Amino acid sequence: MTQGWLGMTKTTLKLNLGPQHPSTHGVLRLILELEGEKILSCEPDIGYLHRGMEKMAEKLSYIQYLPVVDRIDYLAGCFYSELFCRTIENALNIELSERDKNIRVLLLELNRISSHLLWIGAFLMDLGAVSPFFYSMREREMVLRFFEKLTGQRMMYNYFVFGGVRNDIGYIDDIKEIIKILPNKIKDYERIITDNPIFLARTKNKGILEKSVAANYSITGVNLRASGISYDLRQNDYLYKGYEFNPVVLQGKDAWARYKARILELKESLNLIRQALDKISKTKTQAKTFISPLGIKLPEGEYYNEIEAPRGLASIYIKSLGDNVPYRLKWRTGSYYSVNLLKKLLLGEFLNDAIAIAGSLDIILPEVDK
Amino acid sequence: MRALLIGLLTVFKHLFMRPVTLEYPEKKRELSPAFRGKLYTSGCIGCGICKKVCPSGAIQYNKDSDNKVTSYTFDLKKCIFCGNCMYYCPKGAIKMEPEYELGSDNISDLKLSYKGGNND
Ligand code: SF4
Ligand code: SF4
Repeated sequence: MTQGWLGMTKTTLKLNLGPQHPSTHGVLRLILELEGEKILSCEPDIGYLHRGMEKMAEKLSYIQYLPVVDRIDYLAGCFYSELFCRTIENALNIELSERDKNIRVLLLELNRISSHLLWIGAFLMDLGAVSPFFYSMREREMVLRFFEKLTGQRMMYNYFVFGGVRNDIGYIDDIKEIIKILPNKIKDYERIITDNPIFLARTKNKGILEKSVAANYSITGVNLRASGISYDLRQNDYLYKGYEFNPVVLQGKDAWARYKARILELKESLNLIRQALDKISKTKTQAKTFISPLGIKLPEGEYYNEIEAPRGLASIYIKSLGDNVPYRLKWRTGSYYSVNLLKKLLLGEFLNDAIAIAGSLDIILPEVDK
Repeated sequence: MRALLIGLLTVFKHLFMRPVTLEYPEKKRELSPAFRGKLYTSGCIGCGICKKVCPSGAIQYNKDSDNKVTSYTFDLKKCIFCGNCMYYCPKGAIKMEPEYELGSDNISDLKLSYKGGNND
């Protein structure tokens, strides 16, 4: 309670944003303390989607755990599959063929596109623009249908396996179609969104993320790059060796810059897909080396790997005692740190900007709660 | 102002496009044949690999005294349709078909039981 105008007393209001709020993209609860419309403090409450992903690993053999990792981030399952497979491959010294590497790059980038497309739609929906949601979902559907044909499922692919991919790439025409159509559609989004005065008013100079804050809060991925720090793991990832690629770095630091960075990333991903297709067409289908699913055991030791996922750096840590299950498995996911950042970013902002700022960070709750 | 107009025009363009949505459940989209849906089994020899690779313990089977499989059950309440059982069965005994409307009022329908399992 504080002393206000003409000696009247002012009280603050505690407001629960979520966990069932449509703009929180899952079940995030933000406990906000408000003075009028101004946010005095923000306390994120997470855990509503906790599925015990890490504990589960301690009971399941590596092959049983493989389909589960797709579900850590259901919008970008390929990345976690890749991370998990890569760790096992490194530990057991399994070499990937050139073709399989390129297929993996292709799918990772397609997955990134589908994830960013959903974000664009959902973010604009949060800000009250309905049409872009339908457009981006329409384009995302093309990508998902390709995934369905190739892997048998739209989101939980279970396609990457230890030592390669499940079956050889097919449906190249579908990908070519996506590459042909998508650039025009991205232009359409930009026409509708990028310079729209309402969108600008709601995102320009909102949620400014300074470099030092971003570094202190361990922010990675697009959010970091939109604050002017060039840090993209794809630059020295072994899968992306031989690919021409420029990380998207913007200086804007605000919600608008984060939107723009994702649009530019879409284009960059399309670029990588073109290169991957080119490389795949130069290699031939090879007979698969069959790795027996049963009896995969990691030698005693600790293993760590990381990858650039759509929502920032994702990493895995496995401690093995030489059994067929890990002793401990730990995931690091980008969104978890973005949620933590809200504590800082929302201070002093208005309530109606809170949604725009939280939305611009691309938080996805299954990834946070694991 | 100009930006608003360009945006509106782009949206307006969509009025003349063909619809992309379907009126489910009256109309249904054709799924790809690779879609991992309802599970079927035939020709099982009871080696037990599928049980070992299944992450959710959805598979149960019984054998008689001759070591022949008498019944084989998938529990849809537990199955996550990952396809591991299908991919690793050495006999190719498991198939997943693009059928996805598997909900039921009756809980016993959620157990897919197949008699036998042997080729002969
Ligand atoms: S379905 Fe296949 S893997 Fe499972 S027990 Fe029968 S033969 Fe073995
Ligand atoms: S699809 Fe996956 S969860 Fe379902 S029975 Fe087969 S292995 Fe188990």
